[in-house]
Amino acid sequence: MSSRADLPILELSGVAFGYERDTHFISRLSLSILNGQFIGLLGANGSGKSTILKLASGLLKPSAGQVTLWGKSLHHYREKDRAKLISYLPQFLDMHIPFTVRELVSMGLYPYDILPDMTAEEAMELVGLKGKSDVPLAQLSGGERRRAFIAMTLLQGSGLVLLDEPLVNLDIKFQLEIYRLLRELQKQKNISILMALHDMNFAMQFETVMLIKQGSILGAGTPEEVLTKDTIRDAFDVDVTVRKQDSGEMIISYTRDTGERLQD
Amino acid sequence: MPSVKITLLIVASLGIFFVSLFLGPTLISPFSPGPIEKEILFSIRMPRVIIAFLIGIALGTSGAVLQGILRNPLADPYVLGISSGAAFAAALSLLSGFYLLGKFTLPLSAFAGACAASIMVGIFGWKRGSLLPERLLLAGIGLGFLFYSAMMLLVSISPSEGMRRTVLWIFGDLAMADWSVIPYGLAFIALGLGISLQRAKALNALILGDELAHSLGFSVQKERLLLFISVALMTGASVSLGGTIGFIGLIIPHMVKSFVGANSRYVIPVSALCGGGFLCISDLIGKTLLSPMEIPAGIITALIGSPYFLYLLRRRDVFQG
Repeated sequence: MSSRADLPILELSGVAFGYERDTHFISRLSLSILNGQFIGLLGANGSGKSTILKLASGLLKPSAGQVTLWGKSLHHYREKDRAKLISYLPQFLDMHIPFTVRELVSMGLYPYDILPDMTAEEAMELVGLKGKSDVPLAQLSGGERRRAFIAMTLLQGSGLVLLDEPLVNLDIKFQLEIYRLLRELQKQKNISILMALHDMNFAMQFETVMLIKQGSILGAGTPEEVLTKDTIRDAFDVDVTVRKQDSGEMIISYTRDTGERLQD
Repeated sequence: MPSVKITLLIVASLGIFFVSLFLGPTLISPFSPGPIEKEILFSIRMPRVIIAFLIGIALGTSGAVLQGILRNPLADPYVLGISSGAAFAAALSLLSGFYLLGKFTLPLSAFAGACAASIMVGIFGWKRGSLLPERLLLAGIGLGFLFYSAMMLLVSISPSEGMRRTVLWIFGDLAMADWSVIPYGLAFIALGLGISLQRAKALNALILGDELAHSLGFSVQKERLLLFISVALMTGASVSLGGTIGFIGLIIPHMVKSFVGANSRYVIPVSALCGGGFLCISDLIGKTLLSPMEIPAGIITALIGSPYFLYLLRRRDVFQG
């Protein structure tokens, strides 16, 4: 018997997409995200992570195949209804947005006519920005700004959150801070998160990873299963050593590049 | 919410509107006006002040909306070439002496020119099923230059009677204001303002960028098109009511943001009222300063607006959106 946790929230079935007419950057891609999953989408630059997230969020329309959200075609939802079920935070955020933290975070409520349980105050508290609610975004550090956008996305209250490289350009302290925050919130609220990243060692923190190359999935499963010497060589075009420490933690260390031209 | 500042700005704008009715080359007592003063108040002063306030509302709102949808702090209603289109059409009717519709000829031809220019800018700004901000801006600048050059060509080859009026009108001329044009100007400006106010949340989302606006549940193409139409309606109506009056659309939204923050739900209505108040006071100065000679209101708005704009420029944070 299948529980709610086994139900796919979002499914991409045989999806094809190309940025130019008659050329397919992604062809016949299929994946599904189950309720409560926290998935790391891993791949080299230009491997198609952002394109997959944009297809999953409905920003891009596939030229073939289907994207379904709770069993219904994503593009058949009304915009507001879709926004209550799925939210997307792009990789590149305008750092000169003129709003204060509170103004930005409150926009997470825009899809709603009847306000949900969580308030903007609570969302700001969750990401540790309550004391800075009236500070303009431009005056925050890079990590704080990211957290403000994450608070807006969380306030949106959707069951599926798509995050495109939320840790990029952040130092390791903020990376861990944001990752732990997301992990905690995901467990607390039983939401599903699909998060693009390119740091292999960071991917070891995830329970599930998907390794992408040229818009295709090379492997999906636990990091130990997916991130092997061979798959990493295939996806990133580098030779690595994968070691398991006494603590059980996996460490990937770079040895040398393959000397071949990158494919992407 | 900066409610005290918002209240002060609204009170000041409405105060200027009422004061403008009674101040001018002829001082009118608000309590016991004589018969001549009554005639001046109802036939000349009132329509002129109402038209100035309406134009200010249209330009202040259009500037706030355009700076948001184009995500460019330098955008104003004239950057889209709408005013140049209107000015070209109006100059064509003024200089040809073709007065088929009587006194409505000038405003209606200006409005037709504004609509035609808006449609052309929209067509050039449209790609892959949506209005793209960069394309809109470039199309507006390109077409604006084209219309402006065509208008200057008309002025340079025309006899002198129509020329002075055309040149005055280009700089924003409220001297010809009368009651007859107010209803249609009010209708278009009210419609544009209504759309802008109703879509204020969408404008906030568009300021975040197209991808986040989509994620928050807005149809980016539909919202940008609706807001563009509202700007075209308001700018077209304002140019047809009083010519091309510069700086209000650029400066008023920045001034308002420096007081009330960037939230469009406050910026739009407060920019509308402050735009109205600013044009009323500029017109009051223009007609009083060298009375009986009149300085076009558009020149006064630029003379007051430029130094204030440069002052704001020194405070860089104001221009971060």
